[in-house]
Amino acid sequence: MNAPAIPFSPPAILTADLPVEAVRLGLVIDDRAILRDIDLAIGRGEFVAVLGANGAGKSTLLKVIATLTKASRGELHLFGRTVTRESADLRARIGLVAHQSMLYRELTARENLRFFARLYGIARANDRVELLLDVIGLGNRGNDPIKSFSRGMVQRVAIARALLRDPELILADEPFDGLDAPSVATTQKLLEHLHQSGKTIVLVNHDISQSLELARRIIVLRSGSVLVDAAADKLNRASVLAEMGGM
Amino acid sequence: MQQVGLLVGKDLRIEARSRQTIGLVVVLGVLIVVVLGLGLGTQQGGGVAATAVLWTAYLFSGVLCFEKTMGVERADAALAGLMMAPVDRSVIFVAKLVSNLALMALVSTVVTAAGVLFFSFDLSAAPGQFIGIMSLGLVGFAAIGTLFSAVVSSTRLQGGLLALTVFPLSLPLVISSTQLLLRIFRDGESAGGQALAVIIAFDVIFLVASWVLFEWVLEP
Repeated sequence: MNAPAIPFSPPAILTADLPVEAVRLGLVIDDRAILRDIDLAIGRGEFVAVLGANGAGKSTLLKVIATLTKASRGELHLFGRTVTRESADLRARIGLVAHQSMLYRELTARENLRFFARLYGIARANDRVELLLDVIGLGNRGNDPIKSFSRGMVQRVAIARALLRDPELILADEPFDGLDAPSVATTQKLLEHLHQSGKTIVLVNHDISQSLELARRIIVLRSGSVLVDAAADKLNRASVLAEMGGM
Repeated sequence: MQQVGLLVGKDLRIEARSRQTIGLVVVLGVLIVVVLGLGLGTQQGGGVAATAVLWTAYLFSGVLCFEKTMGVERADAALAGLMMAPVDRSVIFVAKLVSNLALMALVSTVVTAAGVLFFSFDLSAAPGQFIGIMSLGLVGFAAIGTLFSAVVSSTRLQGGLLALTVFPLSLPLVISSTQLLLRIFRDGESAGGQALAVIIAFDVIFLVASWVLFEWVLEP
């Protein structure tokens, strides 16, 4: 494999309070390397999109950053602190949105949000829930069970759940998966709004054009390694696709 | 404790609303009692047959119950939401165990009533000892079931795998409690001795082991 055609930016000099800082991060499952020597530094307020073909390790990388999966080797620092199994207070600063809702379909939107708010130990949980239901435009459907919602509405509740703790870092794993066009637009607007309000966002996505439009920085993974790490405005769809191994 | 209460309350609310688990589990338990009762003959009451049939019903109902309660967490990856919370994973274990025990208490009440009626099993000689021994047995069984349901639910080999792992491990409980109940109801002896010690030791060992190991087997 020749050197990548797209400029590769090595991680910035490590800073104490970077939201995400990975040093030679690796993950091996059943003798198969899922992530290989990933060096990554994501600064405050950045909007980073992680792209790659199926099986490239995008979602796994996000799970490792979310502290849900432990890396086999290397170091992961979040907000300047090394991640351990007991990193509950670090998790409190992360909001995770995935293509699966992480909600209970038998419970209503309000019950789901109240449950997680109390579990997260949020003060004035009910007020926070009502505020977020209004933000996502579902204040009048709060007492309906999740199972009665459309995919787009479920995703909006999932975003509200991720925002309960007003997290500094938002990890979004293919949040547009299975959404219709209006719901994609709504979710995009929510992410853009969050970015404008200063949140750091790491978006795993398979839509290259959408990622180039939304994010300021693009990371391309292939076979668990970072192949490209560059500003979005320096890239185009064709070049990213070529690096992903598409054409 | 507050977090355990919150998690258990959520489980029971979901169950009360869907009635998916309890309906299936109760029907399965009663069916096992009826089918085995018809096969063995209903006049075998008071002895090995009744307690063995009850345990068979508890085991199969329990496995289904454990699968379903963990399945709620796996559906839509709700477990990942729990694991993102500042909650120790052992708290999730305790809450799941309590939820499973609550459901098993309800199921075993119905199944036992069916067994008593079907086998003419006279519990009046020592109802308290029967409840105590079976409760101790169910605590150990639920501890194993809760742990292994977490393991099995993260694999693609669901279904029979939980039964294959939990049934053999539960044998000491089944054998000891059956022996103990026989001594009480057939021989008129009081509860105690080696069989009771085995049940209590089993409960303590598997409660502690499951509590410790749960953190390592729980994967989103």
